[in-house]
Amino acid sequence: MLMCRDLATIASDYLDGELGATDRLSVKVHLMMCRNCRSFIGNLRNSAALIRAHSSQTPDPDYLRRLDENIAKALAGKDRDDPGE
Amino acid sequence: MHIRETREPDAGLVARLKAGDPDAYREAVRRYTPGMLAVARYYTDHSSAEDIVQDCWAKVVTAIQGFEGRSGLSTWLHRIVANRAKNTLRHRQRELTTDFSEALDPDLASRFKPNGRWAVPPRMTTSESAEALLENGALSDCLDKHLSRLPEAQRSALMLYEAHQRHSDEVCNILDVSASNLRVLLHRARQKIFLMVEHFQESGEC
Ligand SMILES: [Zn+2]
Repeated sequence: MLMCRDLATIASDYLDGELGATDRLSVKVHLMMCRNCRSFIGNLRNSAALIRAHSSQTPDPDYLRRLDENIAKALAGKDRDDPGE
Repeated sequence: MHIRETREPDAGLVARLKAGDPDAYREAVRRYTPGMLAVARYYTDHSSAEDIVQDCWAKVVTAIQGFEGRSGLSTWLHRIVANRAKNTLRHRQRELTTDFSEALDPDLASRFKPNGRWAVPPRMTTSESAEALLENGALSDCLDKHLSRLPEAQRSALMLYEAHQRHSDEVCNILDVSASNLRVLLHRARQKIFLMVEHFQESGEC
């Protein structure tokens, strides 16, 4: 029988669809009966979303502009068939 | 559950890159640089990571001619960054500080009774969306702080998997972590953020 502690241990695998059919069913049955674990899994899903939203920030615009300039230089060098490359 | 990209719609972009179209490069730089930085960050600090990615983009200008499209463009770019980072930092020893034997964060593990039931159940009741939560500047700062405290391996795998929606097998490949270790790493990081948000909501403090 799956206990709350077990569920907490495999919660991310459940959220990411990485569990086998049997484990998945055990988790679902447990979640139907256990309010605390429903709360945990909901909040863990939220944590994943929070990490996702937070980490997808775009890099510094100045840095991107530097990359553009650098690439433009490399492209120009390539066109001249720079033997230094 | 979110959909991970399987095939990138970048065949047209690749052709334009091969033709040396500067607009194509501007577009590619904006689309792929965040993921490339995440790969480089696995190996080094922020400013060296920026240097490595910059070098790689300059190399891509010629290397793109050899790109045959057997992998996606982002996978190919990530591999270039990983190789470059590994070569630059060959002599620097990286330590993995994650204990992969334990999938439960110790702070969470202590919240269960010996019979495996919750002793201290989750105290959060709100189900605000991540975007709504992040509008709270203090919480966003707190998240920053906690993510930056994670061991680099955890943070980088997290960023690649969560933010850049990479497949697990690609993350494992590029970062040289086993599939099961990646699972532990992701789970540990999410638990840390869970505990952080719970504490923040209760106390208003980071
Ligand atoms: Zn339970």
